[in-house]
Order: sequence, then C-alpha cells, then structure tokens
Amino acid sequence: MPKKELETANRPDNTAFTQQRLPAWQPILSAGIVIPGFVLIGLAFIGIGVALFLTSRNITVLEMDYTGVETTSDCYKCSAGTLPNCVCNLYFTLNETFPGTVYFYYGLSNYFQSYRKFGASRDDNQLSGDTYYFTSPLAVCTPYQYDVNNNPIVPCGISANSMFNDTFNLYQLVNGSKTVPLDGRGIAWWSDYNIKFRNPTSDPLRNAFNGTVKPPFWSKPVFELDLTDKSNNGFLNQDFLVWMRRAALPNFRKLYRRITGPDYASGLPPGNYTIEIAYNYPVMSFNGRKKVVLSNVSWMGGKNDFLGVAYLVVGSLCIVMSMVMLIVYAKFKFPDDV
Amino acid sequence: MKGDATANPDTDVTWEVKANNRHFHKHQRRQSFLCFHWGRYGDNVVRSFKYSPLTFLPLTLYEQFQRAANLYFLLVVVMQCVPVISSIPWYTTIIPLFIVLSVRGVKDLANDLARRRSDSQINRRSCDVLISQSFSPSQWKDVCVGDVLRIHKDQIIPADLLLLCSSEPHSLCYVETMDIDGETNLKYRQALAATHTEMTSNPTEQTLAAFDGTVFCEEPNNRLYTFRGELHWRGECHHLDSEHILLRGTVLRNTDAVYGVAVYTGSDTKILRNVGRHRVKMTHIEKLLNNVVIGIVLFLLLVALLLAVGSGVFRRSVVPQMEFLSVITSVNSPEYTAFLTFWSYVILLSPAMPMSLYITFEMIHVVHSLFIGWDVEMRGGEDNSIPAQARNTSLNEELGQVGHLLSDKTGTLTQNHLLFRQCCIAGEIYGDTSVSAEESETLDLSWNPFSCGGLHLSDQRLVDRLRGQRCPDSKQFLTALTLCHTVMTEWREGALVYQAASPDEEALVGAARELGWVFLSRTRDSLTINELGLQRHYHLLTILDFTSQRRRMSVLVREPEGGLKLYCKGADIVILERLQKDCPHLESTERALDLFAQSSLRTLCIAERSVPEAKWKEWCKTLHQTVVLTTHDREDILEQLYDDMERDLKLLGVTAIEDRLQDGVPQTITMLRQAGLKVWMLTGDKKETAVNIGYSCKLLDPDTRLLEGEELRQLLRAPDEEVTFSQSSVTGLWCVEMELARDRSALVLTGPELAEFNSRPEWGSRFMSLAGLCQSVLCCRVTPGQKADVVALIRKHTSSITMAVGDGANDVNMIKTAHIGVGLAGVEGGQAVLNADYSLAQFSFLQRLLLVHGRWSYRRIAVFLRYFLYKTSSFALVHIWFGFFNGFSAQTLYENWFIILYTVVYTATPVQCLAIFEQDVGVEGSLRWPDLYKAGQRQELFNPFLLAFTLLYAVYTSLVLFFVPLGVFHNSALDYQTMSVTVNIASVLSATTEIVLLTGHWTKWNVLAVCVSMSMYIVCTLITQSRKLFEMSPVDYYFPGVAQNAFASPVVWLTALLTAWTAVLPSFTVHALNIILTKPGRHRVHSIKRGAVELQQSGFRRGDSHRRSSYAMSQSRGIGHLITSGASFRSTAPPVDRRCT
Repeated sequence: MPKKELETANRPDNTAFTQQRLPAWQPILSAGIVIPGFVLIGLAFIGIGVALFLTSRNITVLEMDYTGVETTSDCYKCSAGTLPNCVCNLYFTLNETFPGTVYFYYGLSNYFQSYRKFGASRDDNQLSGDTYYFTSPLAVCTPYQYDVNNNPIVPCGISANSMFNDTFNLYQLVNGSKTVPLDGRGIAWWSDYNIKFRNPTSDPLRNAFNGTVKPPFWSKPVFELDLTDKSNNGFLNQDFLVWMRRAALPNFRKLYRRITGPDYASGLPPGNYTIEIAYNYPVMSFNGRKKVVLSNVSWMGGKNDFLGVAYLVVGSLCIVMSMVMLIVYAKFKFPDDV
Repeated sequence: MKGDATANPDTDVTWEVKANNRHFHKHQRRQSFLCFHWGRYGDNVVRSFKYSPLTFLPLTLYEQFQRAANLYFLLVVVMQCVPVISSIPWYTTIIPLFIVLSVRGVKDLANDLARRRSDSQINRRSCDVLISQSFSPSQWKDVCVGDVLRIHKDQIIPADLLLLCSSEPHSLCYVETMDIDGETNLKYRQALAATHTEMTSNPTEQTLAAFDGTVFCEEPNNRLYTFRGELHWRGECHHLDSEHILLRGTVLRNTDAVYGVAVYTGSDTKILRNVGRHRVKMTHIEKLLNNVVIGIVLFLLLVALLLAVGSGVFRRSVVPQMEFLSVITSVNSPEYTAFLTFWSYVILLSPAMPMSLYITFEMIHVVHSLFIGWDVEMRGGEDNSIPAQARNTSLNEELGQVGHLLSDKTGTLTQNHLLFRQCCIAGEIYGDTSVSAEESETLDLSWNPFSCGGLHLSDQRLVDRLRGQRCPDSKQFLTALTLCHTVMTEWREGALVYQAASPDEEALVGAARELGWVFLSRTRDSLTINELGLQRHYHLLTILDFTSQRRRMSVLVREPEGGLKLYCKGADIVILERLQKDCPHLESTERALDLFAQSSLRTLCIAERSVPEAKWKEWCKTLHQTVVLTTHDREDILEQLYDDMERDLKLLGVTAIEDRLQDGVPQTITMLRQAGLKVWMLTGDKKETAVNIGYSCKLLDPDTRLLEGEELRQLLRAPDEEVTFSQSSVTGLWCVEMELARDRSALVLTGPELAEFNSRPEWGSRFMSLAGLCQSVLCCRVTPGQKADVVALIRKHTSSITMAVGDGANDVNMIKTAHIGVGLAGVEGGQAVLNADYSLAQFSFLQRLLLVHGRWSYRRIAVFLRYFLYKTSSFALVHIWFGFFNGFSAQTLYENWFIILYTVVYTATPVQCLAIFEQDVGVEGSLRWPDLYKAGQRQELFNPFLLAFTLLYAVYTSLVLFFVPLGVFHNSALDYQTMSVTVNIASVLSATTEIVLLTGHWTKWNVLAVCVSMSMYIVCTLITQSRKLFEMSPVDYYFPGVAQNAFASPVVWLTALLTAWTAVLPSFTVHALNIILTKPGRHRVHSIKRGAVELQQSGFRRGDSHRRSSYAMSQSRGIGHLITSGASFRSTAPPVDRRCT
C-alpha cells in the first residue's frame, strides 16, 4: 500500500491544484456578523452623507436665467435673435459677501451636447494640430467638413461650429460701475490644454490655416479667437476647450471665468452688480435656457445636495434593513416567542 | 435453380443474396453523393464519422449557427462593418467570434478524426475471403455481400453470415455474443444439413467456390434475435432462421473454422442497425441558456426598436429646432435616422450578450474536464494507469443533474467472473464470505496435479474430509458436480480447459477440479473423471436437460461399479419439492440457503438418487416411444417422464456462487440512490441473473417487491393511475401495500414486453409514472436498440437527465441516446468508450464523477452563467437609460476601450476563478451528504425563474448605474467623459462586489484575481487614456487625461461608491437574509439528518421467497440434447433438416 501511494504521489499531475485541494478560506458568516456589518456600513454612509450635506450647504450659489423669456427681462429684446450684436444687462444684488473665490459659469438647459452626432462630429486629429487633417478633415465632420466651395473647415464638425459665443462682463455698481476682473486662464483641463489640443507649429499661426475656412457659425476664424494672448489663441483658446469638453446631460454648466481680481480674491462684497451680456447664442427655438451661475467651491467641487442626501438615504436604508434582519432573525431563532 | 420470382412466394423476403457472385452485387452497390443515396447493397465499411473534407465547413457552421448566440454575433459583426451604424469598432466582435467558431470547429474535427481512426482500425481487421477458388486474407472493408468467408477460432465475425459449414461435426459452432447482448455464455449455431453434407464431404475450396445458392431474406433490420429467410439451392428451398446466422461482432469459440456467406454487410448488419445515430449532445443548461439568449436578443431588439422610434421622433420634432444640429436634417430623413439608430443600438446593446461568455464557458468546461482526468482517486486499472477521461468536454454541468442512471450489467456492475465461494454439504457450511475473494487465503492444493488455482473457497476442513474419505456425502457432492453438466473439455498447451455454455457450470466444474474431482473428457455416452488421482469411467445414459420451466438438469449415469445413479442440480424450489421423505439435513440446508441468499450468492441444490435397474429399463422404453411421437403433447409427456425420474431425491448439498461485482458497486449504488438518482439496470441477460445481481448490488432491497410479467401488464392496461391501484387490488394482493410501500417495489421488464410498447404508445407514459413510484427498474433480455428505446422513453416522459453506463458494443446505442454516456474502459473492448462522453475505469468512480465533479461543475457553471449575464447586462443596459438624455442617438456612455476590456479584463478573472475553484462543500462532504446532489436534479441553481430574477436584478443595477451619477452630474459643470469614468468605476466595483459575495471558497487565486482585475481597471484606464497613446492615434484614444482628472476627484469616487453600493444592496440583503435564515452550522445539519452512508445489512427475516437461485444456462434450453444426440462428436448421423415444400 505505501508503495502505491508513493507512486501516485510521484505522478506529475498530483498537485493541490489538479486534485482541487488548494488551501482555501471559506468565510462562515452568521447573523452576528451580518447584522452589525449592515449597521456599520449604514453608519458610515450616514457619516459621509452628513459631511457631504454640510459641505454642500456651505457652498453659495447664485443662478440667474438670462434667456429673456419674460418680457420684463432686459434680455427679452435679444431673445428673438433679430438684433445683431445685441447687448443686455442682468442686475443682481448681494446682501452679504459672496465668500471664497467665485467661479463664473454659464449654463444651458435642454441643450443636447450629448447627441451622438454632436460628439462624433469633430476631428481630434485636426484639433491636435495635425495639419494633414486641415486639408482633408475626417468624414465624421459632415456636414461641416467642407463648405460649399469645397474648402475644408477648420475646426470642422458640429461641436466646434456650435461654440457658445455669448460673452459676459461683470460690473460692481458702486459709484458708477467698477469692472470686476474675470480671469479666463486655467478654466480648461490641464490635459486638454497641454495634450489633447495643440496648435499647428507655424508662426504666425494663421499661416497654417491657409486654404481653410472658419466654421460657418463663427464670426472670426479660430486663429483670431484671442489676439491679445498667444497662449489662449487658436485651438488653445480656453473658452473653446471648455466648449469642446462635452457635457453628459442636456442640462449643464460650463466654467466661464474665475473672479480672482485683487479686490475680489476673497469673495464678492455685498452690493449691486450687473452682468453685461453680449447676447449672440440662440436657444429659444428649441426652448433652451441660458443662465449665468456664480458659485464658490469646496473640496467636493460645486454645490451638490443630491450626493449628500443620497448617502443619507442609502445609509438609513441599511440601518432599516439591519433592523428588519434583526426582527427576522429573532422570529426565526426563537419561533416560540412569537 | 437461381432464385426467381416463382421461387420466391413470400413477399417479405426481398433481400436477395447470390453466393459467390460479386458481379451481381457490385451492380447494385450502394453509393452516395452528398446526401443522395442509391443502390441496394452496402459495403462492409463502418462509417461513424460525420464530416468529409467537403462537408466539414458547411456542417460545422450549420451546427454552430444553431446556437442563437452565434447567429446574433454574426449579425452584430456584419452591422459593425457598416461605418454609418457602427458605434464601436468592428474588431471587437469579429475576432472573438472567429475564435469561438474555430475552437468549436477544431474540437469537433478532432473528435471526428478520432472516430475515423477507430473506424479504420475496425475496417482494416483481416479475414479470409474466398476469391477465385482460394481463400486470401483481405480486410473487413473489402467484404461484399455474397462473399464466402472463412473465420478461424477466436476471430470476430466481420459481417452477418449464413453458416455453410464448420470444422466441427454436424457443422456446429459456438459463438460468444457478449458484445451483442451482454450474455457471457456460449451459444451454438448450426449449418443446414444440406450445405453441411455437401461441403464437409469434400471440404475443399472448390466446393465452396462452386456454391451458387441464393438467399432470400428480410430486408436489413435491427432485430437481433430473429432472422427469416430461405436458401434456394439446387432447386430446393431451405428455411433459415437465426440459428443459421452468425452475427457481426460475435466471436467464434471452440470451433476451428467456419465457412459462411455474407448476407448483410456494413451498415446493414444487425448490430450496426442497433448502434443508433451519433448525435450532438447539448446540456439542459446550454439549451436553457440558448433560450435565454434568444430571449435577451429579442428583448434587445425590441428595446433597440423602441429607442429607434424615439430617435426618429426626436429627429423629426426636436432636432430641426436646434440650429447647431439642424444641419443633420439635410443629410438624413427621420425614418432613415431611426433605421440607422436601430442598428446602432443593436450593436451598442450587444455587449449584454458577449462572445466572451461562450469563450469562457468553453474554457471552464475544458478545465472541469481536465480536473476529471487529473483526479487520482478516479484512476483505475492495473497500476492505476487508466485515468477517468472526459471525451466530450461540454457536458460537465449535466453530471450534477443526473436523475436516471441506466446501467448495463455484464462488465459494468459485475466483473463477469463467477466464483465458487461457499457450499453446504450435509448441512454443514464450508467457506466464508465475510472476507472478500481476494483476501481469502488460498488453500494448499499442491497435492492435486490438476489444480491451476482460482479457487476462492478456503476451508481446510473440506479438503481434509475429502482427502480423508471421511465423508461420503461430500464425495457424492463432488461427484455430482463433476458429472452433472454439459461442459466440454479441451487440452490447450498441456492444460485442461473447460468450455461451458454457462459460466456457472464452468465455475462449478472448475471448483471440483481444484478439490480433486477432475472432469477429464466426455464422449457421447461416457464421462471420464479423476477422483483424487483415481480415474473412473461413467457410462452416460441420458441427460435430462435444462429448460427455463424445469429449472433443473439431471444426468443418469452407470457407475463403474455398475449401479445407476441420477445426479440432479437445480433451483432450490424445484429440488426441495422432489426430495425423498424425511431427508436428513433439510433444515440446516434451508438455513444455509437463507444465509447464502443474504450474501447475494447464487445457489444451486445438488441431489442424487439411486435408480433401480428395472425402473431405468421401463423408463427408457417409454422415453423411446415418446421421442418418436410427433404430436403436440410430446413435450408435456416428456416433461412428465422427466418428472417421474427426478423424484425421491436425496439432498447432497448446496453450491453458492458469487457473481463478482465490480469494486464498490453496492456502496456506489446505495449512495447514488441516496442522492436521489433512479438507478435502472438494462441487460441482454436473462431475468433470473439480472434480478439476482439487482439484489446483490443493492439496486433492490431485500424486501423489494418485484412487479413483472402479467401483473405489470395489468397495471399498464389500467386506464389511469388511480384506477391502477384499485383495479389491481382485485387481481393482486400487493396493491394495497403499494400505497404504503411504493419505494419498496421494482419493475422487471423484458425485451418482448418492451417491444409491445411500440404498438401501445400509451403504455410508455403509464410505465414511466409507475416507474417513478418504484425504486428501480430492471430490463432484461433487451437488445441494444431497446436499451436506447428505454433511454428515449425516459427522455420523452420525464425531464430528468439520463446517464447511461456500459462497457460493450451493445451499450453503444444507449450511450449515444442518453444525455450523458459513460463507457467503462474495461475488458469488453473499446466500442463503448469510443462512443461515450466520459470514460471511467470502474463503475464505483461514478459516485465521485457525479457527486463531486458533477455537483461542483453544475454549481460553478450555474453561478458563473448567472453572474456573467448579470455583469454584462447591467453594464450594457445603461445605454437604454442614457438614450433618454441624448436624444436616443445611440451615444455610448463608455469609452470604446472600456467596452472591450470590461468583460475580458476588468471582470473576467474573478468569475473564472470562481468557476474553477468554487466548492461549497469539499470532497468528503460531498460524498458524506449525497442529499446535496438533489439541488442539481431539481435545477435549483439555474432555472428560468432564477434567470429572470438575475436579469431583473441586472436591469435594476443598470438603472442605478445610470441614475445615481445622473443625480450628481445633472446641472453641474462635470463633463461627459468624467461621467463615463464614474459609471465605469461604479460598474467595475459593483460587478466585483457581486462576485466577492458569490465566492464562498477563497483560494489565493481568487484573492489575486479580484485584486488584479481591480488594479487592471486602474492601470488599463490610465494607459488607454494616456498622453502617449493619444498622440499616436487621437481618434482611437480620445479620452486623454480623463482618468487622471477623475481619479483625483473626490466627487467621482464618492459617486461611484454610492452607485456601486446601491447597485449591490439587494444582493447583499438577500445574502444576509440567507445567512440569517440558515440555521447556524449548516454542515452540521446534514450530519444530524444522516450519518455516513452505511450499507444496510439485511436481517434474517427473509423467507423462502427471497432466496435467489439461479441456473445460468442459455435462456431457452441447455445443449444437453446435442451431447446425447452426439451432435458434438464426430461419429453420428446428421440431424434432419426441415424442408419447405
């Protein structure tokens, strides 16, 4: 017998794996682990939820619609879209200081940046500065691939063509109006600015765009987006980058500026303000809305009550569940006591 | 002279064979091209393969595209090649599809090539064919209908032959039919007297070559035991029946050579007609999966359709208003947009049913099969050199669901090896069965020059008594054993070899030889034996032969001293009632019979009688008068005459023969029965033997009531089950108890009864419902085709999984028909193994195969499939919800790379590990609690309900995966790509959490797999979204920097965590409730319910009716008449043929 065992043990395939005898841990769970586990997880979620909720509460947000639907609105005159270079004002009053660095967003509703054609209709090769695609943009850009004269459009595609072109100026109304400086640097992603979007290497920049035409909706070609700042011009224009970073859902905001001026670095002081809006972008036709949003941020980004509340709800659900389990367990364990 | 229309009045016998006329048959050679066949006479080639080079590709594709999934994948591939539609790149589907198809194809091809090899091995076997006046060796495949063949001793017969003559007197020959019906005894066949006289008087090749008879017989059929035909030769017509036919697959024994004409060849032969078709087997789970796939695909198509309608509406009513999108209107009409979107959504939702499911499924099957092959506990044979083998790698999970086990008897349950284990002489029991045959010490028999070992009755007392001549009873007993039989002797290489028609007789005569009573030779009227070195001649007066009614045989001999002695052996019931009054030792002998019966030994009573000379003379005279009678009552008169002689017997003793079971058979069957399997025995052997083995291998309990014959027929005839019981309570007594003791009954069905089922289809269901109440069913005297019919019957009337176990060619059909076929790699040749799905070395390995490997496989695969569908559906269905927020435009929520890698990299390994390593209960536990197996039979882990539940859960998860992030991202500055990464993290997290929940057996590999796949997600995401790859190809890697950004954002992580937890919360709750509701220590629960499997030891309560005596002769009657008529000796006149007018 021992000889036989020795022989089989020596077979090459007699290992713990082939014999399915790998050492293993079989967790034996019991009610004593499961119910407290649920309670703990529930408490943890409630903890996170409370933290998130409080944080979110501390974020100040000021959201103002300027679409001009109401006739009382100053922008009503522009909303029809018939006036060229229409400018309207949006007044607001702060009763107390708007604390922290204030971020200036514009928001759009009912706007389908998530439509497949919208996202697909762009040429990342072109935008990464590959001049080959300046002359022959990808076919996905259709119908903004070539213009009627068969000149290639740069930047091509629906995404670029539909770039948001309202501009905003913020004034504090103290003794006349005082411009609140808006900082347009650093509003785009670092990776977009440094990796994804590249200008063609030519000096001056416009030379690279010879033989191309601007997108039909644009008032000026891409190499003239910001003539004052070379590093903010062409495909590296940060407003362009922000626009080209698609929103996931039809209601979204995009960062427009940060308010970092010396007088406003720690927030907007109380007072009256006006936003001067160059109203160019039409949204009324599809019942869209345009907004400006002023907000400060925390570690969790912008205001987001949903997350905190959701954590609280799920956490409480766990606690409730553990209670139910406890009752079930008690009834099951001691059926005579029922 | 040649058969023509007038010579052939019987219209049934239309198969015409002209001996030695190849030209005639060649003319009508059966030929085929593709699926068209014409011609009449096939060649002698076995073709069990399926593919030819020409048909392989279309056939394999046809087979594979019967799987709904493959068709669907093909559709998706085609769609993805259309750029307008394609929302994800084409290679994501076509490469896996190609892999799936080719892996399957190669596997099928390999199996087919193996079949081809084994076929050609058979086709190349050699035999002697008479070609132009001389026998020349040729191969089996070259044998044609009408050829005259010469078969030598121990050769296998290559085709169904009409026996012309043999080297033996009267052209007798013996064949072994084990491969055909599983019977181990020899059968004799005899040529027609006409051919015999002609051929043997001048046994040259010229006479055979000149033979120009024509055989008219039935068209080829699968009835093994019948043959009808006529031989037209020299203007005469001779009737032929199965006694004149040598079937392909039988082995010639004890006969130097036979000559015969091939009547049926190749696929026309009776055995091949019984083989059945090769069919592609598909497991229940796979079928269910196929249906589910169809369901899922239909669902996806429906959803895609709805989304497409949505997209059309959106395109018509919303898009034109949006300046930035309105240009699209110039490109496509709304209808066309909807049409394209439909296909885009089909592609987009296709990951819900990924190809990798099938690849992984296949891979897991292979690993499970390897586990079976690797298992050292399932190695058998000498030196443990035969491993278990999964020849069909795709049936593993079904091993865990078997409900009916159908087993062959000979060679499967039994070793086909009879041992003389005990005897009772003059009331005293010799031998001991408490020790197994191997362990019993061997006696010193060196004093006996004829001894050649093999005696397993170790009792020195008996030897001492015999040698000391102290016990006249024992002397008489052995003399009876030596004289009363129909065994033939033969000297082979200096050793005495016994050739018996029945293995029982061989065992008895052999045992007598070991003990010093040596049967040396016989002639027509004498027997020579050697009693302890003393040679004695007995004059054989007559043999009162065995028949199944008489259940006994006797010989009447004249002793050398002159006295007349009748030695009789037979079943206890018939012998005991013929004993003389106040026979000594009767009580102790009956006790011995009970004892033997408990040890499941086959018993025979041995008795003697001294016959007065006058009585013999008178009896002899009557006998002669009776024999020449031709009236119908001849048999009855003979019976009475025999009865008259076999009376006033003096009981000498009882023999007890053990039909050796394979190792561990009773334990295995007991365990399998505990595991809820119905074990049936299907055998070609006769009823007595089958029932006897049924008891000894614990298939039947000692007190099991057998339902057979007329009783059974009555039950079947009853209109419905209710009435069944009431009605038969009038006719029988058992039915009242039946209600109480349902599980204590067993059905015994014979081949002819089974044949009646064909004409009464309603019996089938009734039989099955009856069988469902009984503990077992024994089918005896069934042909290979009928074995398959029984399997088909079960398959038709129940939903349970059938498994057929066998070892011989006669089991091939049943093995092919059953859901799972198991071949025992044993003695009977490889036919069964070649056609089986699994091959084992021993029957007892079945318990490990089923209870351990099968159960695990079922569990693993069920969990695997459910989880896989969950994880893929939950992640793909998100696109439905996203559709509402992107104008139903078929926008993906994920990066392409995530879609590709999600199933294959991020969530693949943990579930693979689960499917390979998972064990809910270890090996020992699985064998200790056979009850656990019932989960598989009840399909508890994979059924439509559970699947629907799983899919609903997947829908829930997909809702959570989309709408929780939606809440966070709504109206925020966070972009689409960040949301994409957030949902990605959440789906990977929830899929991983789910598998962590499902895994109950954590090996280091499971831990590693979970860690690796999670980190792979991070790593791969960072890689595909890296600067380098983007710069290489901006269009393919269009997510640069998103991951870095997102991973650094607490909101992303918090959202993902919340989403994942909410997604798996129901599963967590269900698991938790399960744990709470399970009594603590569930493993201990089982041990309370039932301890380790113990073999039930039967008590002493059995009466006579439970004694099992068996006289294992050929089914109808013995061959005694051949001995006494002298047919087997070379001297006397030929028997008379029946001639038709």
